[in-house]
Amino acid sequence: MTEMTVSSPWQALLDKIRDWARINSPWAIHYNSGSCNGCDIEILATLTPRYDMERFGVKLQGSPRHADILICTGPVTRLSRERLLRTYEQMPEPKFVVAVGSCGLSGGVFRGCYNIVGDISEVVPVDVYIPGCPPRPEAIIYGVVQLLESLKNKAPAAAGQLPDSDALSGKENQ
Amino acid sequence: MNDTSSLLGQAELILRPWAADYTHPEADRLDVLLPPEALKIAVRALQKARWGYFAALTGLDLPAPAGAKPEDGHIEGLYHFCEGAAVLTLRVRLPYARAQVESLCEVIPSALLYEREFSEMYGVDVLQSPMKTRLLLADDWPEDVYPMRKSFSGLQEPPAAEVKVG
Amino acid sequence: MDNQVEARKFIVPIGPQHPALKEPGHFEFSVEGEVVTGASVRLGYVHRGIEKAAESRNWTQNLYLFERICGICSHVHATALTLGVEKLANLQVPPRAQAIRTLMGELERIHSHLLWLGVAAHEGGFDTLFMYSWRDRETVMDLLESISGNRVHYSANIIGGVKFDIDDQRKDAILRGMDFLEPRTRHYLDVVTGDRTFIARTRGIGGMTREQAELLGAVGPTARASGVTRDVRVDSPYAAYPDFPVNVVTDEGGDLAARFVVRIKELFETYRLVREILAKLPPGELAVRALRRVPAGETVSRVEAPRGELFYFLKSAGADKPDRVKVRTPSLCNWATVTQVAVGHKLADMPMLLSGIDPCFSCNDRLVRVNRGRDSELMSWEALRRYGIEYYQK
Repeated sequence: MTEMTVSSPWQALLDKIRDWARINSPWAIHYNSGSCNGCDIEILATLTPRYDMERFGVKLQGSPRHADILICTGPVTRLSRERLLRTYEQMPEPKFVVAVGSCGLSGGVFRGCYNIVGDISEVVPVDVYIPGCPPRPEAIIYGVVQLLESLKNKAPAAAGQLPDSDALSGKENQ
Repeated sequence: MNDTSSLLGQAELILRPWAADYTHPEADRLDVLLPPEALKIAVRALQKARWGYFAALTGLDLPAPAGAKPEDGHIEGLYHFCEGAAVLTLRVRLPYARAQVESLCEVIPSALLYEREFSEMYGVDVLQSPMKTRLLLADDWPEDVYPMRKSFSGLQEPPAAEVKVG
Repeated sequence: MDNQVEARKFIVPIGPQHPALKEPGHFEFSVEGEVVTGASVRLGYVHRGIEKAAESRNWTQNLYLFERICGICSHVHATALTLGVEKLANLQVPPRAQAIRTLMGELERIHSHLLWLGVAAHEGGFDTLFMYSWRDRETVMDLLESISGNRVHYSANIIGGVKFDIDDQRKDAILRGMDFLEPRTRHYLDVVTGDRTFIARTRGIGGMTREQAELLGAVGPTARASGVTRDVRVDSPYAAYPDFPVNVVTDEGGDLAARFVVRIKELFETYRLVREILAKLPPGELAVRALRRVPAGETVSRVEAPRGELFYFLKSAGADKPDRVKVRTPSLCNWATVTQVAVGHKLADMPMLLSGIDPCFSCNDRLVRVNRGRDSELMSWEALRRYGIEYYQK
């Protein structure tokens, strides 16, 4: 994180405030790199009353310029690849990428198809993978919460860590 | 299925002036082989008789059999029309050396998307097409590479050279 | 060129993209003042190369692949494929399996129409309707998950039949679901036919006559809303539809309002169908054995997806892998109708008009590019959507 290399007694405090703000209300942008829509409709479902991702403070909005998190689906088609790169480049630092679905992980069922790249991390660095075809809304929320938790600890969540059941049920550490 | 067979009978009659061959591959289907030059006029006749709607355009790659010269292969265009349960397929054979067919857009404007896909996937020149720009393939997809031909087995080079971010 | 003072071009890409890119995959409008004078489309963002990939996978693997052409209507794709293969292999699929396939297809239709209702409402600024319809949709999602194990991509089909059964407990749950949804759907019908703001944004917009619909090859609810009685379940009944006939829902309105009405009324017809199928579910096996190799031949398989006719052409060379699978999705037909119908309409109508065909492509984020002469300006889809909403609020 480049901003943190500036050394100043106030910097640490500013970082903490900024991180607190980001953890408590990250703005996310959604990008579909060529998916079947399955993951996208489950992401959309997280905004609806039953799952309500907004209660975690995550706001899905339209512009990369104001986004902290890029939620990306799909196996990255040839046409979509550059779009994905440009979208990522438009986001201000620090930024994070959540890859939703098997396609973003490995290409999913489309692995080997002539018009796809496959793994989203071949194009942009990925912080969190949420496997599933598609992952259910709860899994998507869990993945995003994992990201937020790792921001708090300033390290990515270790692979294989068991889910914190409180985070899943929404009873967040206050 | 009297209705379906009489519908197909009607279609057979309409296409008689140009048909080179007929087959009934299934009970509700009629396949008609046409010389490519007759395709547009045959479709016009179908339109005039209000027989069915243009449902899909399937491309088939039929490479030359083993032992024959590779350039002797051909592309087959299957123009499917539906009326009720009846499916009429107009088939045209387009040799590799002369893979071209007239656009149907003058008769059926909505044929455009089907023709664009057929053209870019199989390398068929659709003559007098109102729009020849790519529909599905990226603009930087190499020319003369037709993914649906049997000879295509994947691009050698990775998509547009771009240094991975990060 | 200069006397075209107000000529502008709007490019509506199907996918988010950066302003700098000059040649996006997109849906392009030319506008003079407020009026659309031309439209064209360029797809490609979701082109994965599935038809090609099918030729290197066996028939069963392809079931999983083709299911994932679309997450919203995945079951109809799998159904079209299996029905085609079963024809080539001359398999007699047990009636119980066909009935379960049909049931899953109708449950899918419910989720798809409710999804569309919410998204289309959102495009017009009716966010309450979006939230309500998607909350109600969860009823069906729960049922689908309970039956199949997954909310999306149920993988109900195998070649020769289905994988799972419907037990009495699930039967009851499904019936309760239909009972829950029916009055709520009635409410939605009241909203789309009675709410003044809604009517203002949908009545008389995007009109397509029956002739146009037929000439342009429209399919599905888009065609039926213009009085064209076209429904594969009735024209060429497949699976269990011969035993459970469908009443085609049409409307003479031909406009956007009619498209809303048709889809909502189709929901009622679907609830009726579901109840009937469950009441008369035939006993028996779930599948017949299928061989790895499918006899050589060609076949056509047509099914009625929520968006309209789905057309499959299959060719087998006698191997365990297909020689050719061609898929023509209903949305491809309906794109053509939009490009023709958009002309003469206001730019403010474009978001709703596009949603009216229930387009099955990905992406909620779209950018619009405005070309004014030599200058180029970017407008986000959000802004275009809000533009439409505000235009009608004046």
